[in-house]
Amino acid sequence: MENVIPAEAKADEFCYACASKVVNDDVYCTSCGYPLKGSEFDQRTFMARQQNVHIDMAEFNQKIRRAGNTLYYLAGLFVVFALVSFAVNKDNPNVLGIVIPLFILAALFLALGAYSRKKPLACLVSGLALYIIVQVLLAISNPINLASGIIWKILIIGYLINGIKSAIEIEKIKKENNIA
Amino acid sequence: MTTHETYIAEKKACIECGTLIGLNCKFCGSCGKKQSIEDEKSFESKWTLIKQTGLFYVILISLCAASNFIPYFQTFGWLLFVEIALAIITVAFFAYNWADNKTVLVWRNFSFQKLCAYGAIAVISSVFVHYTVGWLNFTIYNKQEVYYTFLRGNIFGEFILIFFIAVMPALFEELGFRGYMLQTLLKVGDAEQSLYISAFLFAILHMSFISLFWLIPFAILQGLVRLKENTLWYGVMMHFFFNLTACLFMLS
Repeated sequence: MENVIPAEAKADEFCYACASKVVNDDVYCTSCGYPLKGSEFDQRTFMARQQNVHIDMAEFNQKIRRAGNTLYYLAGLFVVFALVSFAVNKDNPNVLGIVIPLFILAALFLALGAYSRKKPLACLVSGLALYIIVQVLLAISNPINLASGIIWKILIIGYLINGIKSAIEIEKIKKENNIA
Repeated sequence: MTTHETYIAEKKACIECGTLIGLNCKFCGSCGKKQSIEDEKSFESKWTLIKQTGLFYVILISLCAASNFIPYFQTFGWLLFVEIALAIITVAFFAYNWADNKTVLVWRNFSFQKLCAYGAIAVISSVFVHYTVGWLNFTIYNKQEVYYTFLRGNIFGEFILIFFIAVMPALFEELGFRGYMLQTLLKVGDAEQSLYISAFLFAILHMSFISLFWLIPFAILQGLVRLKENTLWYGVMMHFFFNLTACLFMLS
């Protein structure tokens, strides 16, 4: 009998799981579904499930971070390309026309990387699309470009795709568990 | 309203057991059921939708890149082929999810004033873009862009130009991006992210990095109009007026 807590004692208390205010006669927390008056087993099961959700989320967040870092890496790569092509074409009257698009690309990847924490799905899908377009354009200018550094390309696309998958998963988890 | 009625109005019934609970309760306090009516799609179905959109986009990239950058395809015959292929592919993808997509084709609450306002915004932004792009191209590339030179001197050239620059893109780019793509992405992510994705993908498909400064805001505006008005047609008309203005500059 020592496990039974009188209902009156729960008045104006806070939920053990999510710390939101609970009303006297609630059996379940109305913001997270925690069994306020359930057995100890129910409560432990609930907490274990919540913990699993957080472990999953941490894993997905790590994949999103890795994909975001890939975008930063691409930004750095295009800055280097821009500087190199500036050095090579210094005497070319059309040098700005070659260098500026490369800097714009670098800036785009940098911006997408920076916002990939806040809006992962939007930034990673956009980043992947931009990367594919750049690769198609490079392949058109010289088909050999497609094969050069193929392992890097596969890695970059793989990280970005994993990031997109994780972004979908994490939004689903957030919606299902009412995590803002 | 009596006190009792007010009390009822601030409550909702639990979707499982019918107990009255607070309007913003996420779970039922009595049975613990989650109070969400919308059925969350499974990861697999969302991932399939993303892959489907990806396929659509990769096909568009290949066609556009080939017709823009491979000299072999820069003839009138190939231009016609690419335009028709793009139109057919867009319609096919749009029709594949017809049940979900058809709602955007309805033009409810047609308002002539709204149409004029959106048209005016489109014309003004097109004029602004024309002069800034002209200046940028001249400064950076030291040249002026000349489009579709093979149409010059053709007796129907001007009509063909208007058809290819104003009519076809207005119809099929809107159908493809604000129609099919945005509508599909809305099932995967929230409205804001779907809007950004469809706008960014639309902008970079034009494969002109200098033009991104106006293409991205333009695409976001088109997407916002589509989401606000819940119809594709205001966007189609805006796109048409925008491109028509650009076209008239080209012909003048």
